[in-house]
Amino acid sequence: MVAAPMAVHADEGETYDVCFVARASADTFAAWLTDSMQKAAAEYDNINLTCVSGEADDNEMATQLENCITKEYDLVIVQSNNNAAQAPYVKELVDAGIPVITTNPTTHQCDLDGETGDEAVDNAVLAGTGTVDADPVEQASRGALRAVEEVPENANVVVLRGPSGNYHAEKRREAWDTYFFSERPDVKILYEDYANWNNDEALALMETWVQGGTHIDAIISMNDNMAAGAIEAIRNNTDYVAEDGTPNFLAYGVDGTAQGCLLIKEGLLTATALQNAEEIANLNMEYAEKVLTGEMDVTEVNDFVEAPEINAENVDEYIQIYIENGEIAADGTLAE
Amino acid sequence: MKNNKVSYYLQKFSILIVLIVMFIACSLLSPYFLKANNLMNIARQLCVGILIAYGEMILIVSGFLDLSVGSVLALAGVMAVSAYKSTGSMPVAILAALAVGVLCNLFNAFFVGNFNVPAFIATLGMQQVARGIALYYTGGANILQLGKFVNIGQGMLGVLPIPVIIVIIITVIVWYLFNQTRYGRSLYAIGGNRKAAEASGINSLKSIYISYAINGLLAGMAGVIFMARNNAGLPNGAVGYEMTGLTAVIVGGTSFTGGVGTVMGTIAGAFIIGFLENIMNLIGVNSYIQSVIEGMIIVLAVAFDIRSKNKKSSKVIMVSDDGEEKKTP
Repeated sequence: MVAAPMAVHADEGETYDVCFVARASADTFAAWLTDSMQKAAAEYDNINLTCVSGEADDNEMATQLENCITKEYDLVIVQSNNNAAQAPYVKELVDAGIPVITTNPTTHQCDLDGETGDEAVDNAVLAGTGTVDADPVEQASRGALRAVEEVPENANVVVLRGPSGNYHAEKRREAWDTYFFSERPDVKILYEDYANWNNDEALALMETWVQGGTHIDAIISMNDNMAAGAIEAIRNNTDYVAEDGTPNFLAYGVDGTAQGCLLIKEGLLTATALQNAEEIANLNMEYAEKVLTGEMDVTEVNDFVEAPEINAENVDEYIQIYIENGEIAADGTLAE
Repeated sequence: MKNNKVSYYLQKFSILIVLIVMFIACSLLSPYFLKANNLMNIARQLCVGILIAYGEMILIVSGFLDLSVGSVLALAGVMAVSAYKSTGSMPVAILAALAVGVLCNLFNAFFVGNFNVPAFIATLGMQQVARGIALYYTGGANILQLGKFVNIGQGMLGVLPIPVIIVIIITVIVWYLFNQTRYGRSLYAIGGNRKAAEASGINSLKSIYISYAINGLLAGMAGVIFMARNNAGLPNGAVGYEMTGLTAVIVGGTSFTGGVGTVMGTIAGAFIIGFLENIMNLIGVNSYIQSVIEGMIIVLAVAFDIRSKNKKSSKVIMVSDDGEEKKTP
């Protein structure tokens, strides 16, 4: 039995205390999301946003979520580090009557109860909560569908994975199986390993993998950060990048970060799919306000941002967005 | 008599024997291991780890350690990148990194030396502080578009990668400091018995400050190379690198209780770990299993260290690179 979360309706001029529990601060996307949440909250006079981080540690996540009950926040937005580990604490918040929106990733009922094999049950959002997310399968399918056509016959590929147990990491990998590997049984996975979303771990792996003697035709990475690390390992290798800068490999990422866009512009990353933290943050704040003012029930919050593909044809428009928000210098080189 | 001599040399060069055995085993396990490119690749990958390991070795020999080096490296690295992007000057960028590294470590030295805060606690605090500043300064985002900054991590000078040349130069300096200076000898004495060292006229507080400052210089330089290698200022980079440094030092025979350790042992330790990681990646061992294997090796190395020390008798209080053993009367 799940208690119905109670929205706190403040009098005119009164403010609501909202907490965003990010999965980590030392994570490029989580940091972007946190920053975007703060900017989005600044647009609302009646929302006081506090941002805390679980530092990619399930125990710290539990502590932060328990603190949210103690501090009696009016609404909590949770970005889980590990869905199954955080699900009981998210339920505690719900039981305490605090409206909860889970975001990037969604917390599902099966994270609490275990998978049943029934897709409808397993894909249901945790009872009593709402969600704003990006669909990891849709994101990864963008690159995977292209790759079916682009990757040469009997190609050798490497796969860089996000952290084990992370919902988005696992679902993106599953999408590659569904949309690419099942369609292309001729393709051989030469190496596959966890680089945990990290640039430097992917760099070290790729540096060694290229010594294996077999040409790597494609890098399949579950995010742009790892793709960037892997590309850096072969940027100066003439077997992979000709002297005129033409690459002799394909590379696919997810996230559409500034770094990913610059690599597409250079021709080194083939395609990525945008996971727009600003859009996720704006939607979270919009729904949070509606829930808090009684316009809607938190369980009605169920929205997924789109995952547009970014490639050589359209990358300029995304680079322009990053130039406008200051992440990329207009001259493309030195200015911060 | 002859057996004693063999036993002495086996013990003295045990780490080099392990390294040679490891090298042969790796070359049998994968035909790609012995390729010049792969060996150069290992050397390039080890540069950051070796610099960190030297800093840890200096501290551990004198009875301290640094758990903040990964975070300080990241902070120094992003500051170097930032300085380069503002000025376009590589010397300014390097100086910025070195200054940040030294500053962080002077704080470590202040609390460890002046307040006797255990090094474990003081540097654990700095680990959080430095990482927090790096993330706050960058907003958690990578700094991109580094231009020619990457040359120091990716460039070549003749047939050798620039970071390898830097590490060779630093190795000579650290070896000289350790073996040819009064300061180096004082480290062994402090690590062996701080009170006895002070009674014999060694200024241990001064040595602590110098050791942490050198550790900071090494962390700063490692930060520059790390960011250049990755072609990005990564505020979340080098997480857990203190363990990389500590592992090389411990495997290289430096005693965690202080007073024993050599530059050559540390290099050998770093290469043993480097060979191990390289061969596991070449033959496709899952990185989580790699962690298990590396963890086991650390425990075995420390167990071996304790056991051999007990055997060798407690009278030996210091062993330096030249093999000289100082014994209590």
